[in-house]
Parts: sequence; C-alpha cells; structure tokens
Amino acid sequence: MKTKVQQILSKLNTPDITFADVRITKTDQEQIYFQNGFLRNFGSSLDSYALGIRVLINGCWGFAGTRNLSDNSIDKTVKLAKDNAIHGSKFIQKPVTFMPIEPTLADEVFLPKLNPFKMDNEEKLSYLKRIAEKIKPDGKIVHSYVYGVFFHQEKVYGNTEGTLTSQSFYNTLPVMSVIASDGNHIQTRTWPGHMSAGRGGFELFEENKFEENTDRIIKEAGDLLSAPRIEDDRADLIIGGGHLALQLHESVGHATEADRIFGMEISYAGKTFIKPQMIGSLKYGSDIVNVYSDSTNPDGMGFHPVDDEGVPGQKVDIIKDGILINQQTSRDIAQRLGLNPGSNMKASFGDDIPLVRMTNLCLAPQKGSLDELIANTDRGYYVDFTKTWSIDDNRNNFQFTTEIGWKIVNGKITGIVKEPTYFGITTEFWNSCDWICGPEEWKHHGTFHCGKGEPGQAMQLSHGVAPARFKNTVVKVKV
Amino acid sequence: MQSEELKHLIDRLTKHPEWKYHIVYTDWQTDFFRFYQSQTNYNISKTVSTLDVTIYKEKKSFSFNIDQPTITRIDSALENTISAIDTLPEDPDFVDVENDLSKNTEKVKQNNILNISLDKKIEILADISKESEKLGYRLFGTFICNYQHTQIINSNGLDKEEWNSPIYFEVKAVHKENQVTVLETYGGENWESFIKEDFISHLSLKMQSALNERIDVEPGEYDVILAPRCIAEYMQYLSYGLSARSYDQKSSYFQDKLGQQVFPEYITITDDPTDKDIISVDYNNDGHIYNPLSVIDKGVFKSFFCNNYYSFKTGLPKNGNNGSCLILKEGKETLDSMITSVKKGLYISSLHYMNFINERETSVTGLTRDGTFLIEDGKITKVVNNLRFTEKIARIFEHISVLENKSYTIPFSENYEFFGISSAKAPHVLVKNFNITSSTKTI
Repeated sequence: MKTKVQQILSKLNTPDITFADVRITKTDQEQIYFQNGFLRNFGSSLDSYALGIRVLINGCWGFAGTRNLSDNSIDKTVKLAKDNAIHGSKFIQKPVTFMPIEPTLADEVFLPKLNPFKMDNEEKLSYLKRIAEKIKPDGKIVHSYVYGVFFHQEKVYGNTEGTLTSQSFYNTLPVMSVIASDGNHIQTRTWPGHMSAGRGGFELFEENKFEENTDRIIKEAGDLLSAPRIEDDRADLIIGGGHLALQLHESVGHATEADRIFGMEISYAGKTFIKPQMIGSLKYGSDIVNVYSDSTNPDGMGFHPVDDEGVPGQKVDIIKDGILINQQTSRDIAQRLGLNPGSNMKASFGDDIPLVRMTNLCLAPQKGSLDELIANTDRGYYVDFTKTWSIDDNRNNFQFTTEIGWKIVNGKITGIVKEPTYFGITTEFWNSCDWICGPEEWKHHGTFHCGKGEPGQAMQLSHGVAPARFKNTVVKVKV
Repeated sequence: MQSEELKHLIDRLTKHPEWKYHIVYTDWQTDFFRFYQSQTNYNISKTVSTLDVTIYKEKKSFSFNIDQPTITRIDSALENTISAIDTLPEDPDFVDVENDLSKNTEKVKQNNILNISLDKKIEILADISKESEKLGYRLFGTFICNYQHTQIINSNGLDKEEWNSPIYFEVKAVHKENQVTVLETYGGENWESFIKEDFISHLSLKMQSALNERIDVEPGEYDVILAPRCIAEYMQYLSYGLSARSYDQKSSYFQDKLGQQVFPEYITITDDPTDKDIISVDYNNDGHIYNPLSVIDKGVFKSFFCNNYYSFKTGLPKNGNNGSCLILKEGKETLDSMITSVKKGLYISSLHYMNFINERETSVTGLTRDGTFLIEDGKITKVVNNLRFTEKIARIFEHISVLENKSYTIPFSENYEFFGISSAKAPHVLVKNFNITSSTKTI
C-alpha cells in the first residue's frame, strides 16, 4: 500500500497542485448478531480497499474516491480529483490556504489481546450464544439481542510535503439489550450502554463483564415497567460515565469542531453557538471542568501518528479551568482562527474526505469515587445508560433520557425511576458541574457511530470520562 | 461487476444444491458538490461496486460483502463460507429466501451525473447567489447527483435489475447579520422538472419573510402549521412502528391495531412508488416487487411493512414495502386560509435531531430549524428562535385539524454510513396543541 501511495503522489507533484494527499485503507469487518437466543446474522467484509485522492488547486479542494485500485482506475481518480478542484475553483471567494509543516514518517501497529479475525468461529459463537441464551425472551422479557462488531483497518497516508505513515488497529463494539413488556408498555436495558465501543478485540466482552450482568439487565428492565418517573422540577444529577461520554460528545465535542463556525456542515450536522471571539474568554464550565483532545493516547480509538492531512497526533487543551481556549481544527481552519492545527482531520475510509473530528476527547478526572459522590449527595438522581439524545443546530439546547435512574436521599440510593429526562443549555449546564470523580473511575467509552459529513461518514472515537455531578438541573419535561 | 464474475459466483453456488442464496450487486456513483458562504467547499466524486451475498444451509446462514469483486476474492469468500457454515448455530425462524418473481417494467434511467455537469451546478448556484446577496444572505448546502444500478438474484429463480439516478439540491440561505436561516430544496429524477426561476422565487419569498423581528416564545401548547417537510419527517418516524420487525419486537404503536381507527378519518397514508413525483423504488432488499400499499386509510390502520423473513416469523402478509415512498393525502384548504385561521401560533419549516424516547408510545424529542415563525391574527409576523418539542407522533397525527389542498415532493438524504436519496409527499398541516418544551435561545 505504501508503494502505491508513493506512486500516486509522484503523479501529483506538479506545479499546478498546491498540496495533495493520498490515503489507502484496507478494512476487515465482521458482525455477529444473536436475536432472542438464536444466531440471526453472521457476516464479514474482508480486505476491502478504498483510495482517496485530495488536491488543492487555485485555492479549491477537489476529491475523488474509489474502491478499484487498478492502474486505470487510479489514473481516472487522479483526473477526477483535479477536474473537481479546477472546475470548483470558478466559484471561490476566499481561497483555502495553510502553512506547510514538517513531514512525518511513522508506522504504528496495535494488536488486540484476542484477535477476533484469528479466533475460531466456534469459540466466538459459543461465548455469545451463552450470553444470548441467558437473556432470551422469558417472563416479562419479550425481545433480546447480543451484538458484536469487529473492525480492523490498515491505513497508509502520504502527502506532497513528504509525510508518509502507516497505522494498523483493531476496534470492537460489544453490546447486549433486552426489552421488557407488560402488554401495553415496554422498557429497555442495555449493557454496557450506548458508548460501549473501544480499542481492542474480543477481550472487550470479558472486560465489560457481560456474563455477570445478564441477570441485572433482565431484572432492571422488568422493574422499570412499574417504576415511577421523576416528579421534581429540578434536581442534582450524577451522570454515570457511559452516558456522560455522550453528554460530552454532543455538547462539547461537536460544539468545538471549528468547521461548524464557518458553516461547512450547516446542511446536515449543523452549526455551533461558538464564535471566534469567544476563544480565550468564554466561561464554558465551572473551574473543575478541563477538556482536552488527545490523539496521542493509544488506548483510545482516536489515536493516530498523523491525522488525515498530515498533522502529527497531539494533546490539546480545549477547555482549561472552565475557560474555552481552543478548538478542534483542520490546517485551513486553524489558520483562519489564528490557532495551531489540532490534528483533528479524520476520514472513516480511504474514499471519504477528511472532516474535523473528535479523536479521544476527554474530561479530565478530579477526585473521589462514585460511592463517595453518592454519599455526599443529599437529594438527587444517579442516571446512566443512554436512551435518547437530541441537541439543537447550534449545540446549545440539549435533552437526554437515560434508560434508568436511581433516586438518592441523604446520600443513599432509595429506588429506581424510569426514563429520567433532563434538559439544559450547554454552558449553564457545564458551569453547574461541582464534582468530577477521580482517576479510579476514569475510563474510555466509545462509539462506532458518530455521524457527520456529506456524503455521510460514521466515525469511531473515544471519550475518557469519570462520573460527575451537575447541580439544579431541569428534570421536569412533559412527555 | 462484469457479468463474468457474477456468472462465476452463480456457477459455484449452484454446485451446492443444499444451499439457498441471495445476492445483491450494486454499482453506485455520486457527484457531490458541497458549498458554503456562497462558494465551493468540496467537489467529491465516488464510485463503489459492492456484492452482498447470504448463503443458507437449511437454517444456518453466512453473509459476506465484497467491494470491487473479482473471481479470486469471490472464491476466497466462498471458501470461508464453506469452512464456517456447518459450525454455525441455526436460526429456527428462517424458512426460505424470497419467492416473489414478479417484475416491474425495467427502466434504464439517464445518468444525472453526466446530465448535470459541475459547471452547470455552479452556474445555477451563482444565479441564486446573486439574488440572495441582494437580501443579505449567503448560501450553504449541497447539490448531489447519484447513479445506481442494482441486481438482485436468488436461488428461487429471482433475477431483477433496478436503476436510479436521484438528484438532491438543498440550499440554506443564512443571513449575514442575524444568522436567520431558510431552506429550499429540489429532489427527483427528472432534471427537466427543475425550474430555476421558481426555485429562486420560492427561496426569495422565504428570505424576505425571515427579515422580520426575531423573538423567543415560552414553552407550552401551540397551534402550529407544519411545513410538508416536517409532517413528512414525522410520517417517516411513524413508519418505525409500521414495520413487522417492530411488531415482532412488541415495540410497535400499531401492535394490536390492525383494522382500527387510529387517526381522524381525513388522514390517509400510502406507500406508493408509482406516484409521478416520488423517487421510484422497484424492489425491496429481498427483491420483492414494491407495489403501492395502503397504510392508513381514512384513519384506519391497514398494513404493516413486512418482508419475507418477518412474514414467516409473524404470520403477517408479505409485501415489498419499507416506507421509502410515503404519501400523506392532501385536504381541502389553501395554505393562506390555514394561516388566516390561526389566532396565535407557529409556522415550522424544518426539524432537526429527532429521536425516540419510547418507540411503542411514539414519544420523541427534537428541534425546529431553518425558519420558525410566529403567526398572529392570521398573519406570519415574526421570526422565532429554534424551539424544542417533546411529543408523541401518534398524538400529532390525532391532532391534525386541517390539511392543505396541495402536496409537495420532499427529498430526504439518508446520510448515515450509506448515502442515499429518497422522497415523500405531503401537504402543509395544521396541528392543534403541539407541545413546545423549551427554546434554544439561538437561531
């Protein structure tokens, strides 16, 4: 793949092209889906190659992608990318420019503890079947599934500045879910929650303790059918790590993608409430809120030696002591904002354009365990396991519902509530954060399904968080 | 894929008489023009050829997907299948692959990627831009042409082909000063139906309306006029509960409601690929012919969307529908008379980021965007900040009191992992007591 990238780059080192980059990805995917105790789908897509060529001509980007890597197809793709830039440049007011950077040469290989593509099928299937049979419909449980998606990608990136890198990694999405019904209503419980994906292989099922939690989700789903809803207007909320990762993702992660400031994603993903003049002064959160973008941590799915336009991986503070101080950027956008590029340009596959993306976007830990936090809460709710999420076009007004909540009175859990729903305005909410648990509770949570871009791309990325408390949150929402 | 590869695959599959198989071969291209601030953002060209194969041995199945298939890659995938399939657990609910051999008239469509060049797109956009600049707006959006050829083959003798070349043109005009946004779209397969002057005229009208004073409104229940795009999107979300899969999972709002009056008698919904304004669909993924289907007839629930697998599993009648061509029948009132009838209410142009809270109850939350307006004493008077609603979709349909006497084709881009273009058709509707739960304080 490296040789092919170099060969293509040699065709793009011409005076008319200001900058060009080339990516080839080779992807293996496998998915196993048990429904109601039975194998419903076992499928794979192996050795899938994708090529993308991006050129900057006359201040305008042109891109072409293909999954056909024959010489003839590559020549055609080079021509298409150049034509797209040349014709597109007829409708340009502000040309794309950015500063050159030193080339990077790097090769990174990550190997999982249990490689799902090398394990015996029988070993994988017997493990998942055992889980599936434990949660199959019985009593109040009317539907269940166990799902595993295994992903391996090799990527070579090169550009006309001399950068040439390769990366090989494995990610896994493990999840199980049950639906309980009383004939008229349904409630769901999922494990380990909506943000269950991570860097690694089949070992993620063991690490997430699937077998130990089947009885728990069956009982909780059944109990939720007759559980009360929250009656308070406002309450102190402790948000568990799995759901807090999504809260961070939606109300900080996407809001600080700087391409949104310039409207590049308006028609699908939306804008942001952040304006350039807010950087360096906006009180985004309370003093204990520190958020950083870290593509140097190999434990997260956002790790890379360089991003998809040649910027070396780095750790960048986005919110420091509650103040917004930086953005997630591309080279072009960073220059427009007077910032350094943050290594945030990522494309899902070789034939996708790179977009400003979260990598490993993390909330720094403070101190204390979750038990201590609950014990120090007089009255409130501990909520986790995402059910519904929604946030507005400017990433300002959000509303989330989790599958389950636990009522806290005088530092003790006293019962469960169903579908706890809360609403907030982004900066008010993060400024109400008065407790973030410590490193012992901090871990990466992740998704395979962060949708952005047109044509659409689903990105795999991670968030490191520990449970946190938010004071006086609106929990009265009429449904 | 050249016929040589497909022939090779079928030759190898037929050497295993104990196997059943289902093949979908897709050749897909897109020419995707993204623009922002009235200038080019990216021009993207992509081509993908994909072969999806599922092989069944009695009640065991294995699936593989090959991009850019070659004989060597097909052989490798088949060897993998042979070594795996006997080791797999059974799915007791699988009975057979699709056996509907009926065909639509094959329509080889012109490739709109070739029909509408990038230069042509830019020329149209430059003309729209000139008009929007006069009112202080900049343009953002996409101008997309796709071309797709699909072939579906299975071991029951099914062999069908389908061509599509949808166009999706979306322009968001954003005011330079106050960021108020309005939206105009065009979608379809017949480029000759695009009339630039009409497009500019509609967009200009919206841009002018959006120059009024901007205000906020309190949470509460409002009479709202939903633009066709909004009610079409609610209709698409409602179709989750119309699927036999959700019925099987006991998650459907329509669970025990077949034949029952679920909405007012003036609500009629069909799933009709033959409507001349709809982006047509010939077959579902199994290859079953996609015929017009009555879903809600005069308020009575008539049919689930039910494919081959779920028909065997649930006993529901099989069809080829999946809600890709939904049409809400128009009513009798003009839009003007609908607006005039509202003492105080809202006009909502478009929705954003809607998600289910509880599928069985059809409860959702989401937001308005691209133009929300206040109606006072029968007139649109002010621009309103984007608002959050928390509602039950079934309740919205129950509370429709008036439907416009004219329908509009609404293109939708299906943009999650795979990019596709579909359409729906709906009139404006007046909904009573629509539940606004908060303001975003932004536009």
